[in-house]
Amino acid sequence: MSSVIWYLYEFARKSWAEKFANAHTEHEILEKPERFRDFPTVKREYCIGCGACTTACPAPGAIKLVRDTDTAEEEGQTYPVIVRGACIRCGFCAEVCPTDPKTIECGENHLIREEFTIVPSEKLYVIDDYLCIRCKKCMKACPVDAITEKDGRVEVDQGRCIACGECLEKCPVKGALKVIHVAYVEEQKMVINLAVNELESAIEEKSEDIKKLEAEGVYRMNYPLKPLLERALEVLPDEEIVRDLLEKITDRLKMRIITWSPEKCVQCRLCVDECPSGAITYSEDEGIVRDPDKCLRCSTCYQTCPFGVAGYYVARFLIDESSGEEMIRITIKPAALPVKR
Amino acid sequence: MILPLGPMHPGYKEPIRLKVKTRGEKVLKAEIEYGYVHRGIERVMRNKTWQKAIYLSERVCGICSYIHTQTFAEAFEAISEVEAPPRAQFLRALTNELDRIQSHLIANSTYFKALDHETMFMYMLALREPVMDAIELLTGNRVNMGWNVVGGVRMDASESHLSRIREIIVDLEREFDRYVEMFEHGPLIGLRSREVGYMSQEEAEKARAVGPIGRASGIRYDFREDHPTYRDHLDFRTIWRDDGDNFARVMNRFDEIRVSIDLIKQVIDNMPGGPVRTKVDVKAGYGEWRNEAPRGEVAYMIETNGNLIKNISIRTPSIMNIDACAKYMLRDVATVADAVATYASADPCIACAERVMVVDEERGEREILL
Repeated sequence: MSSVIWYLYEFARKSWAEKFANAHTEHEILEKPERFRDFPTVKREYCIGCGACTTACPAPGAIKLVRDTDTAEEEGQTYPVIVRGACIRCGFCAEVCPTDPKTIECGENHLIREEFTIVPSEKLYVIDDYLCIRCKKCMKACPVDAITEKDGRVEVDQGRCIACGECLEKCPVKGALKVIHVAYVEEQKMVINLAVNELESAIEEKSEDIKKLEAEGVYRMNYPLKPLLERALEVLPDEEIVRDLLEKITDRLKMRIITWSPEKCVQCRLCVDECPSGAITYSEDEGIVRDPDKCLRCSTCYQTCPFGVAGYYVARFLIDESSGEEMIRITIKPAALPVKR
Repeated sequence: MILPLGPMHPGYKEPIRLKVKTRGEKVLKAEIEYGYVHRGIERVMRNKTWQKAIYLSERVCGICSYIHTQTFAEAFEAISEVEAPPRAQFLRALTNELDRIQSHLIANSTYFKALDHETMFMYMLALREPVMDAIELLTGNRVNMGWNVVGGVRMDASESHLSRIREIIVDLEREFDRYVEMFEHGPLIGLRSREVGYMSQEEAEKARAVGPIGRASGIRYDFREDHPTYRDHLDFRTIWRDDGDNFARVMNRFDEIRVSIDLIKQVIDNMPGGPVRTKVDVKAGYGEWRNEAPRGEVAYMIETNGNLIKNISIRTPSIMNIDACAKYMLRDVATVADAVATYASADPCIACAERVMVVDEERGEREILL
């Protein structure tokens, strides 16, 4: 009799009734083989909310970053949630997770995080809010809806951008939408150095002509782009980046040119003390000597020298294709700075 | 009359339509209609990093999923001029051979199903199951393994795992001979298979048949001969026959399983130590790589800008084999039932073979996408 009562009591319990009404196999009771890579497990207390897992996940919508609502005591915790319908159990999220101990664990994984690039693209598309005219042509052109309007500003969502470049083609304002190449940063620096040195030495060869310039005169010269491009491509073998760089250099660069005429010098040594980098030295044997490698092109010697030994000029550059061959047009003007004379 | 077989047919694993011209019971010729399972994987792979695209390449083929990731990874390694460490290469060869065994077994089981020999069909699947367990033990999953990465493999296998795989393989070998004998010397299956669906060597060359189908018709070529791991470290022989009928194709697969078992033993005995993965800085450029998939030669042509995939083209073996099957094998077959069996003996994988041509009329460009 007591067993009957016990059975009745068991069946009348709420949990049993719930299980009876909603009968399905629970995922946890499966016997899993050794080394089987199951769905990732999340330990939410370690999460730093960096979003590396969502960026790295190859299955669309398999991981979502969730944030609890803030309470009076503390901020809400951020943590990833695995959507089991979309997860392909590759375990890639666990590999890229940067926390220690790992927030996400999936099967056996013991691999190094540095092996992976989390940044999905080499290019960064950035909108200059000052120049943007808010025509929204880029928003329409974007195939992945990565460009959105927020508080009157047009912005690129870097997490969604696939760097296809459709927006750049549609943008009517030059400079409003810019490409920043994030890869090959060291090589990019080398290319910039190379281009600046090449242009400067080209101008230096013509220094005799430049010295003859009048106060209001302009000296123009051409420098072919092709050999420079070829040398730059040896450093960084990606023509897209190199061309973009050279264009930016010629757009922005304002080069200061110092010419030096030793025949005018009277060895007064005023400039030696003024020079901030010690590029101008005096010795009894050689007299005043200027070292161009140390020179900062600050124009202090030009302003100091009473005899006009140092000349100071400003060069500007522009890439021009109008004559068929691509040329860098160089315009050199004398500087309009006050001189002690 | 013209008899449509498919798109849904009990003999098929995937939807395709065979238009068979018959006179009475005799099949005169056949024509193939594609277009039921195109997925656009190549287009989806563009503008993705390799970390994301390698999981897509795994889904090109449902049965020989492994070799696609290996070819993808090795193509990227070729672009970056990096070689995977020797242990990773051996583990790749091991997984490749395990995958080949299960793929050949399922192909033969499908053939027996098409012959309506259910017993052999079940036997083949029962043989395949321990191999799948071995794959799962090694890689963590049964079909879509997620095992290869550019620069190596993702998990190391300990000595105990390898010895367990060896045990599984030795058991398989013992069982296996019995079933091969059933097929080879059994009077009924042999009679229904011999001299059905004949394709000569010349025809196979014309149709560019590859893999076991081409080798059964006398094309003495296996791409594993040119693969660095197999060429330098493993003793390997190409299986081929010149009968060119269903029997030859099925027996060719059985014999290749024997070679695979032998290769797996060699790999486990000579497994070198060391790391299983190197760091790879993917360079910009174009690279291509070929491998011998269970169904034949698979090729990946990849153009990358150092991080994202600019362009990718995948050549799968099934597309040539299906054409060879429709044009040469299904010609003057005695019965419609034999035509279905002949189709199954070519081991077609439709989802790999589906292509679509995108024509841009304004620019005058056209591209073919998997």
